[in-house]
Amino acid sequence: MSCSPSGNLSRRSVLSLSAAALFVPALAAPAIAREAPIQFGLTPVFLTSDLELLGRLQSYLERSTGYAVELINRRTYQEVTALLTSGQIDGAWICGYPFVSHHTELQLIAVPLWHSKPLYQSYVIVDANRGATDIMSLRGDIHAFSDPDSNSGFLVTRAVLAEHGLRPESFFSRTMFTYGHRNVIRAVASGLAQSGSVDGYVYEVVSRLEPELTKRTAIVTASEWLGFPPIAAPKNAPSAERLALLKRALLDMHKSNDGLAVLEMLELDGFASESPSLFDPIAKKAALVAAAG
Amino acid sequence: MNLVNRIRQPWPVTVKVPIAVAGLMIAVGILLSERVLNRLEETQQNYLVDLSQSYLDGLSSAMGPSVLREDNWEVFDAIERAQSSHRSLRPIETVVVNADHKVIAASDPHKHPIGMTFGGALVDGQFTFDPTGETATVSRLLAYPGRTAGAIFARFDTTHLAAERRSVVLALAFTNGILTLVLALAGWIVMRRMLRPLSILSDHLGTARTDLAQQIAEPIIANTQGEFRGLFRAYNELVRSLGEREELSRRLAEERRVSSLGRLASAVAHEINNPLGGLFNAVATLKTHGHMEGVRDAALGLLERGLQAIKDTVRTTLSIYRTDREPRPLEPTDFDDVILLVAPEARRRSIGVRINRNIDGCISLPSTPIRQAVLNLVLNAIAATPDAGTVQLSVVADGHDLTIRVADEGNGMPNWAITILTDRKSSLPPLERSGLGLWATARLVADLGALLDVEQADINGTIVRIRISYSPRELAHVA
Repeated sequence: MSCSPSGNLSRRSVLSLSAAALFVPALAAPAIAREAPIQFGLTPVFLTSDLELLGRLQSYLERSTGYAVELINRRTYQEVTALLTSGQIDGAWICGYPFVSHHTELQLIAVPLWHSKPLYQSYVIVDANRGATDIMSLRGDIHAFSDPDSNSGFLVTRAVLAEHGLRPESFFSRTMFTYGHRNVIRAVASGLAQSGSVDGYVYEVVSRLEPELTKRTAIVTASEWLGFPPIAAPKNAPSAERLALLKRALLDMHKSNDGLAVLEMLELDGFASESPSLFDPIAKKAALVAAAG
Repeated sequence: MNLVNRIRQPWPVTVKVPIAVAGLMIAVGILLSERVLNRLEETQQNYLVDLSQSYLDGLSSAMGPSVLREDNWEVFDAIERAQSSHRSLRPIETVVVNADHKVIAASDPHKHPIGMTFGGALVDGQFTFDPTGETATVSRLLAYPGRTAGAIFARFDTTHLAAERRSVVLALAFTNGILTLVLALAGWIVMRRMLRPLSILSDHLGTARTDLAQQIAEPIIANTQGEFRGLFRAYNELVRSLGEREELSRRLAEERRVSSLGRLASAVAHEINNPLGGLFNAVATLKTHGHMEGVRDAALGLLERGLQAIKDTVRTTLSIYRTDREPRPLEPTDFDDVILLVAPEARRRSIGVRINRNIDGCISLPSTPIRQAVLNLVLNAIAATPDAGTVQLSVVADGHDLTIRVADEGNGMPNWAITILTDRKSSLPPLERSGLGLWATARLVADLGALLDVEQADINGTIVRIRISYSPRELAHVA
């Protein structure tokens, strides 16, 4: 899953984040609301997409950590990242791009496993009847991005153009940010945008849940495999105990029925501890883009 | 009678009233239907206006500053959410443009891509709705303090409203049609029942035009209520008095016939008596001077002429008044006999009767009624002609028509006499005794199928003409 969880994909990302944040070993149902609640960051798209998933995630985290869990929703990654870096929340499901951009302020808690790997791709999609073959044939398009802090929904395409010495503003006739990967698919499917950059994990999940939507689109290019959007926490966590419980809850999510139900809804296999070096390719792209100006 | 003629004839009340009821019902139905449809149209329009305003309110509120920023996605997302939340309004197209008419976003980006110029003026609050059409359109300016940021154009599917209107029209037409038919039928039944007594009276009066009037049967009167019962009884009284009058006339006619017979007998006796004196003188001469050959021959000649005159008189009388079992065809001598019959009356008045007869052989027409009719006309002409005047009888047969003209030198026939003579429909004799001969003549002519007219009726005299058609083939057969 890319950084910006849109629609169903977003909810799954959020679940992964929450599981990573829990990170707490499967405690034997400790008492709830012992002190301050665990605050876990999500995006509003996730909330509006699937309230059932949100409820199950919150329920699972509360049962696993013994803490009351408060799910924090914001419209953009920037807002969630700001809450995280300022230490206002215990953890959040963010994207690899803001993680590498703020690696000095953040610590990696867990990475979701999709098809048993902590990896995903970025897709460039167009109208199903268009027949485009590569990203260079999309010159002059109205292009839909997900979020300016999204790896798959912005950075990957921006980096490809930078490799050719191009910038989105000049290569495309117009660009727009939809703040959700599912929104990118909607924009391209409806014809509002002629092409779009979207999270490959979200696209695949949406193609199974809403095939009528994705069948109106076609994948032009898929990026190399990159680090899945991680669950991160402030380097100086507000509460080491809450952070430990959150991490354990995420890593053990696949071990309980209610955790498996959440993973099933997210179509993920679980959460794993990974090295921050997993996101080095994303860091290189960020550096390339920064160098291009 | 063909259909057109039947339609042109005056329609009976039992038809006119139901048609009038149906016509009124149709007029009322059209008026009410028009009012209902107008009201329905107003209701539908108000419904559309309210919902479309709600739709525009929600949409403009949801888009807000996104229009100012020309945030294509936010505007598109707001349109999709608004269309989803206003399904009952059936929006089929929504376009949001900026102040330069450039599309920011539309519900169908393929049709209205971003940046395309959208046709149509930026008019605030424009609403168009055709009740029979398929769509309604509405527009609203998006004005923010200081400037106009853009506009929203929306089009809604109104086929369900048009279908509702059509169904209302059909329901009204069906209901009004049924009501009209039922009321027309009820009107026909009621009027037919109400006017049944008039129909009975009309039938009896219609019969009376061509035949003797018949009384309305008592059971019918007994079954009739209200004023019609009295009307029926009054009608029966009228018929009864007419019958009595006819009986009186018949008696008068009989008396006249007897009177005529008396006059005829007197005339015949006079005709016979005239030569009788001479005959007796001849017989006395024979007795006294019979031995003288010259005297005897003269006396016998006188006797023969006298007896011949008596014979002619008797024969003519018999031929006119005998009732033949087989009608005898008309012969030229029949008119000579008429002259012979009227001769005594003509001589008494010193009136000359001239005959101009252009007829050869027998004609296949019954002689007796013609002789009687001509006799009556000639006698009437003699009566009308002053003393020492002339009456002319002209008879012409041209192979197809027999034309008889009787001309007098009187002061003209009065109108009442002409009416009696030429009225072929009157079956009743005149009450005045003086018109009986004319009435009898008219009936004889009518029975023959002949035409009778009065050519002239002034101070120079009167000419009465009878024309009777006959068949030449029948004539040959008779001949």
